[in-house]
Amino acid sequence: MKETLLSIPTPFGDAITLCKNSWEGSKSKGNVLSIVSGLHGDQVNGIYISSLLTRFMDRVASGQEPDYKLKGRVQIFPIVNVPAAQSGSPLWSFDDLDFDLAFPGNDKGEAAERIARALFTHTSDSTHGVILKTADPLYEDAVHIQLADPDRPIRKMAESLGFAVARKLSDSTTFKLSLFGHWRENDFPCLMISAGKPKALDRALCDSIFTGLVNLMVQTGVLTTSKTKKEVEKLQVYPLNAEHAVMSSHAGLFLAEVEVGGFLQKGQKLGEMISIATGETLEEYSASVDGYLVSLRHYPVMFEKEMIATVLSDKKKGFWPF
Amino acid sequence: MQGGESGLKTHKIISSENPLGGAIELIRQTFTSVRDKPVKRISFVAGLHGDELEGVYLCHLLIATLRQLKATRPQAFQGEVHVYPAVNPEALGSGTRLWPFFSMDMNRKMGEKTDPSLPAEFARSLVEDLQISSDIVVDFHASNLHLKELPQIRIIEEFDKKLIPLAALCNMNVVWVHPSAPVFESTLGYNLNRKKIPTLVVETGICLRIHQEYCEQIFQGMIHLLRQTGVLDLVDPLPKIKQPLLIHPKQVALVQAGHAGLFIGNAALGAHVQKGETLGTIVDALKGEVLETVTFPADGVLFTLREQPVTYQGAPLARIALKEIR
Repeated sequence: MKETLLSIPTPFGDAITLCKNSWEGSKSKGNVLSIVSGLHGDQVNGIYISSLLTRFMDRVASGQEPDYKLKGRVQIFPIVNVPAAQSGSPLWSFDDLDFDLAFPGNDKGEAAERIARALFTHTSDSTHGVILKTADPLYEDAVHIQLADPDRPIRKMAESLGFAVARKLSDSTTFKLSLFGHWRENDFPCLMISAGKPKALDRALCDSIFTGLVNLMVQTGVLTTSKTKKEVEKLQVYPLNAEHAVMSSHAGLFLAEVEVGGFLQKGQKLGEMISIATGETLEEYSASVDGYLVSLRHYPVMFEKEMIATVLSDKKKGFWPF
Repeated sequence: MQGGESGLKTHKIISSENPLGGAIELIRQTFTSVRDKPVKRISFVAGLHGDELEGVYLCHLLIATLRQLKATRPQAFQGEVHVYPAVNPEALGSGTRLWPFFSMDMNRKMGEKTDPSLPAEFARSLVEDLQISSDIVVDFHASNLHLKELPQIRIIEEFDKKLIPLAALCNMNVVWVHPSAPVFESTLGYNLNRKKIPTLVVETGICLRIHQEYCEQIFQGMIHLLRQTGVLDLVDPLPKIKQPLLIHPKQVALVQAGHAGLFIGNAALGAHVQKGETLGTIVDALKGEVLETVTFPADGVLFTLREQPVTYQGAPLARIALKEIR
């Protein structure tokens, strides 16, 4: 079912809407998976994955995917920050505010607060939740899972995706304002998947995440399948102290020589900073530890004291439980 | 650190090389005390949001006045004054609320321990420097693009006992005590107050403009604060200052738009308004229709007024300090 949950008139153009695609199975009570994308308007990988999932769920519901049967309820919110998506920006375009700091929202407040409230209300009774995102602006992320409290149900969700790496999120002063923070307060298992970079679509990456999410639907019981369960890659979960940031000590153009998603050896060159004015090499950067390159600067122009890369150290990795 | 004959000492708190040349620098200007142990140390901060210029102008007024005072009456400085006139220089240079290169709000990065971004690094350095150099902090803000504010100090309830007596010295129209909310936890004011450094958050005017009358009023309030706290010892008689309206949440009425359209205001900021009087209209510019005539819901003082006409349903149009608690 395709629904418009909220439609807010605008002074000059189309209304701002919050839309939901949902499918209900025979045993949907107490088994609801919510998937949200487009919290930031430039994170198109998640929006594309939601479209792949919508097409797949329509086929499941109409019997065109005979290997799958719908049991629970799946609800997908493909683009929740419409003004930002329309302007190609991460931020709510009318006032440059980060929509993901507007939760739990206010149904009597401004447009962004009303959308946030409606989204939170429609997802707060979920039994499982997934938020699709990309790296922050200027960076590229290898596909990985982000978790807050890694208890057993979340572990099972995360493992079903078939990705190699998960990170525990740091406490942040803005965490409580985010959708994910409020889902955690509601105490249902949830996680975020970060992959790729803003303003760019990586179809191969999206296809792999789509496959992982179908597996997650089976694991959470909203879908059943007659297919044989495949062995998935063992998940490694990295706590905060396993993260090693490589910082720039010069400003200039950063020229990367590695790609995200690979394991690096201590001393392996990540790239170099060159002077925009002279072209000379100012500094070479290398990995300070053996580890997994989870995040790398994508936009080359850099100031001094900025983060170039995040390496997750193999030596300090944590297996379940921490 | 650079010291000058002006009695001003310039400290670079943090800097970052710019890839195109030069550097971004966070600067503190210090007027030292004649005492080894200053009576009090007061810091003024402006420009966390780069489109809020009222505070930057206030810092100019303070620096100019204190320089002259240092040159003519150095013994007046019983305490120490620090001025941080432009703490988000990149945003100020482009006239934007956010640090433009990163699209980040520096006043949502306070208290962040692990965020590796440059705005968070500057925020950490600012908090650390204020912590070691200040007994009292005043953080100047203008309003956003949408609303214009009477000179006021906003206080989170949990800090009201310490802050209300200080706020009363500042020549404000309004002192608004409001409940805490998670959104404040990433701000400078909240983090310093949590660290037991009394911090007054001033809101005045509107962004991208300088309202000279309000700035002059607040400037007089800041000089009054410096004198009353013993930082400045002057023989001149103390000027009279405004007694602010002290308001709590139940004394604030918010008027919101019922329709999307253009808000055409019909009231003056600071006016004493009565229930039923017209605040303005919301019109549909495409059809030439009046969608809504907005009236005041109660008697009171109009201390916030919408300036940006483009309005969505639910947008704030005005706030009134009520005469009677609801």
